[in-house]
Amino acid sequence: MPPKNRHPTSASVQPSAPKSTPSAPTTTSSKPLNANTAQDIVQNVWDKYVQRTPQRVKLLDTFMAFLVAVGALQFVYCVIVGNFPFNAFLSGFSATVGQFVLTASLRIQTNPENKAEFESISNERAFADFIFGSLLLHFFCVNFIN
Amino acid sequence: MRWLFSFLVLALLGAVQALSSSGSRLLVVLEELAEKDKYSEFWDDLRGRSYTLSFESPKNDKLSIFKHGERAYDHLILFPPKTKGLGPSLTPKLLLEFLKKDGNVLLTLSADHPTPSAIVSLLLELDIHLPTDRNALVIDHFNYDTVSAGEKHDVLLVPAPKALRADVKNYFEVDGTIAVPRAVGQGLGNTTPHLAPILRAGSSAYSYNPKDEAEIVEDPFAVGEQLSLVSAMQARNSARFTVVGSVEMLQNEWFDAKIGAVGSKEQTTTANRAFAAKVSEWTFKETGVLKVGRLQHYLNEGKKNVNESAVGVPEHNPGIYRIKTDVSYTIEISEYTSTHLSPFVPPTADDVQLEFSMLSPFHRLSLTPLAQTANSTIFGTSFVLPDQHGIFNFRVNYKRPFLTSVDEKRQVTVRHFAHDEWPRSWNISAAWVWIGGIWVTVAGWIAFVALWLYSEGVEKGVKKTQ
Repeated sequence: MPPKNRHPTSASVQPSAPKSTPSAPTTTSSKPLNANTAQDIVQNVWDKYVQRTPQRVKLLDTFMAFLVAVGALQFVYCVIVGNFPFNAFLSGFSATVGQFVLTASLRIQTNPENKAEFESISNERAFADFIFGSLLLHFFCVNFIN
Repeated sequence: MRWLFSFLVLALLGAVQALSSSGSRLLVVLEELAEKDKYSEFWDDLRGRSYTLSFESPKNDKLSIFKHGERAYDHLILFPPKTKGLGPSLTPKLLLEFLKKDGNVLLTLSADHPTPSAIVSLLLELDIHLPTDRNALVIDHFNYDTVSAGEKHDVLLVPAPKALRADVKNYFEVDGTIAVPRAVGQGLGNTTPHLAPILRAGSSAYSYNPKDEAEIVEDPFAVGEQLSLVSAMQARNSARFTVVGSVEMLQNEWFDAKIGAVGSKEQTTTANRAFAAKVSEWTFKETGVLKVGRLQHYLNEGKKNVNESAVGVPEHNPGIYRIKTDVSYTIEISEYTSTHLSPFVPPTADDVQLEFSMLSPFHRLSLTPLAQTANSTIFGTSFVLPDQHGIFNFRVNYKRPFLTSVDEKRQVTVRHFAHDEWPRSWNISAAWVWIGGIWVTVAGWIAFVALWLYSEGVEKGVKKTQ
C-alpha cells in the first residue's frame, strides 16, 4: 500500500503532523494484509482508514459524503418529479457539486500525505481559499435560484 | 381696424370652405362650350355645393391641369370629345399624374361618337374595358324607356343601386328609377381591388352596335350585370376616378324627364338629378372619406406595470413593451359627410381590424366600437402580447370599396423579461426542494467550518503541550 510506505517519509519531514505518526505503526501490526473474503478486504480497508487517517481529513471526508448524499437526493428528486423550475434544480445541484469540488481541493491541499507537493501553501492559506471559494459559490447559487 | 380684420378672416374662411374634403377648384373640359347649357342644372347643383367651376375646351393651348408642378385644380370633369382625343394637355399620362397628386376625375362617355383611343387606353390602364366596337351601346329589351326609346330600346331604366355586398356601404341610394340613355358599357377587370361598379345594367342588357346590320348579335362584349354603366376606381392614395357611361344622363332634359317602364301605363320622373349629385359627391370626396383621429396604445395592467408614470396613469403610446403583458389599443375614426365629420359606423357585416405583426400578424383582432364622440367613433381592443420579443407593429389596414383607405402603423419594441421580473424562487413551490438543497449545503458547510476551526484549535493546544 503506497500510503503506508510514503507515510513515514512525510512524518519525518514534518514531525508536528498530528495523529498520523502514532497511527502508522498500529495499522501495520493490527491485521494481516492477506484477506480471503471480500468482507475481510472491506473491513481491512475501513479499519486502516479509521486508524491511519488524520482527524481533519476524516472531517473532510464526512462532509464530502454528506454533500454526495444531498446532491444525489436532489438529482433523484429531479429525475422522479421533473426539472421545473430548471434554474432551481441547477443551482441546488451545482451548490452540492461545487462545494464537493472545493472540499476535495481543500482535502488535497491539507492532506499531510501531500505535504511535499504543497510546500508553499500552508493549511491556513488553503482554508482561507476554501472559505472564499465557498462564499462565492453560495452567493452564485442563491442568486441563480432567484 | 379690428372688425375689418375679422371681416377679412371671415371672408377668407368663406372662400376656403367647400363641401369637398379635398378642395373646390373644379375644371370642366368641354369641347363645345355652347353645349354647357344643356347641363346647367348639374352645374347649379355643383355650384350650390360651393365648387368653383372653370370651363375649358381641350383645344385651348393654354389649358394645363398643373401649375408649377402642382395641381391647378382639385377635380376634373371630362366630357367625351368629338375629335380624336383630349389634346396634348390631357393625355392619359397627365391624367394619371393628376390622380397621383390626389386629384379626382369624373370621366363621361357617350355612344354618339366613337370613344377616342386615348381614353380607351387610359381606362385600360385602370383595368376598365370598353367594347372593342367603338360604336357599341347598351341595349335592354325588357327595361327600356317606353316614352323616348320605344323603338330602339337604348334608354335603360335601372333601379337605384343597392349595396355592393353586405359589408360595403352604399353611397348611391336614391329614390326612383335612373334613366341611362345610350350608354357605353364598361367591363371591370376582376384582379384589382380598386375597382367597383356603381351602377350595373339589368340582367337582360347587352352591348350592341346599332350600326351593325346583323340580325343576331354574336359574341357580345358583355351582357347583363357584367356591364357597368357607372364605375368607380379608387387609387391607393384614395384619389377617385369615376366613369359615367352616358353623358346624356347628366343633361337637364334627363334630370326630370318623364319615363315609362315596360308594362306600366303611368309615367314617373327620373332620379337622375339625385343620382348625379350622389356620384359627383362621392367622386369629389364629399362622402366616403375616413379620417383617423387619436390613436393610443398602452399597457393595461393594474398597479404592477412597469411603464407607469408618476401620476398613476399608464404611459400612452410607449415605445417598448414586455412580452406577455396586457395591452389596450384604441383608434378614433371619423367619416366625412358633405359638411362635417361624423362617427364612422362600419357596415354590419364588416369590422375594423387591428393587426399586431412582425413580418406576419401574430394577432388579427376585430376592433369593437367602445364610445362615440360628437364626430368620431372610438374603436378599441385589449389583448395579451405574444411570447415573442422583437420589433412589432400595431397596424390598422382598412381598405374598402368606396371608402378612402386607412393604413395606420405604429412600431413598438417588445422585450423579454428583465432579470428581476421573473417570479421569486419561493413563490414557486416546485423549487422548494432545491432551495432546501442549497441551504442544507450551506448549513453543512458552516458546521464543517466550525468543526474544522475547532479541531485545529485542539491540535494547536496538543502541540503546545508537547
